[in-house]
Amino acid sequence: VLLAAVLLAGCNPPPPPQLSKATQLPSPKPVTDFRLIDHNSKPFTRERLQGTWTFVFFGYTHCPDVCPTSLTMLGQVQKTLEQSAPDELPQVLFISVDPERDSVEQLARFTPYFHPTFLGVTGEPDEIQRLSRQLGILYMRTEGESTDDYLVDHSAAIMLFDPDGRFHAVFSAPHEPESMASDYLAMKNWYEVK
Amino acid sequence: MKPIFAALLLSLFSSLAAADSTLLVEDAWVREAPPGARMLAAYMTLKNPTAQDLVLTGVDSPAFNHVMLHKSEVVDGVARMLHQDSILIPAGGNIELKPGSYHLMMPAPEQRLVEGDKVVFELNLEDQACVQVQAEVRKKP
Repeated sequence: VLLAAVLLAGCNPPPPPQLSKATQLPSPKPVTDFRLIDHNSKPFTRERLQGTWTFVFFGYTHCPDVCPTSLTMLGQVQKTLEQSAPDELPQVLFISVDPERDSVEQLARFTPYFHPTFLGVTGEPDEIQRLSRQLGILYMRTEGESTDDYLVDHSAAIMLFDPDGRFHAVFSAPHEPESMASDYLAMKNWYEVK
Repeated sequence: MKPIFAALLLSLFSSLAAADSTLLVEDAWVREAPPGARMLAAYMTLKNPTAQDLVLTGVDSPAFNHVMLHKSEVVDGVARMLHQDSILIPAGGNIELKPGSYHLMMPAPEQRLVEGDKVVFELNLEDQACVQVQAEVRKKP
């Protein structure tokens, strides 16, 4: 009976991990093609989500409160992970919902401040939407005092992609670095033994 | 810093904080922002020990062209910032300006502010009182 139980356990995939903040998608969602550009002026396409875990946060550099808070927390997550597994750090993307003002140069100045590994990504508005729509990310410009002085409402969630480039899990706001790091490691370990 | 200077500075700061108003301000700070950031945020705790409501109607600062009262909120997963004409501090109560909630928003000055820099804000109240507060630039979430 014991042997049978062991065999059975060997055949069944392990149950999904218990997570404190993240929500895993019932089945990870592949994304279709998009064409963006990173802050090093290199094309950023669907292929660059392959072979690594990727955290994605959508925001804009004129945002003084919510975006720096979330990016600082992601920086803390990355620092925590550096201590446990420095060789397999996830990719962290800050994708602009304000491509009119967030140029490649602007993102290159802004993004690495939060962690040297972070990558700012921008592109044509249509291409950003092509990706954001697939993830259920919403954003809309709101009135400002002038044409160059507007705000952008945007989804506050942080998304996680698995190394197969699929949308795997979502972290809803408010974000908390400790639980994000431990949830990420739990999903990563589960994914590797699965 | 020599003790005498430290003492002088300290007395200057406490006299700034204890301007002739009834609003108390604690823990004022400005978030250090990355190079290239166009907007900054400042936070503080506003305490009203009096029996009357106090209303913050505006903020000035020699360090910034203008200072706006804002509130961030997340509704149905979407973060947005709302301009506030004023902020009411209820009698005997506190209002915390903190990340993800009420804050001051300022355009970043030409000279980038870094951790340890200090700036002064002048908080204008509805009853014409003005409270000066010194805020330190800090690097935190």
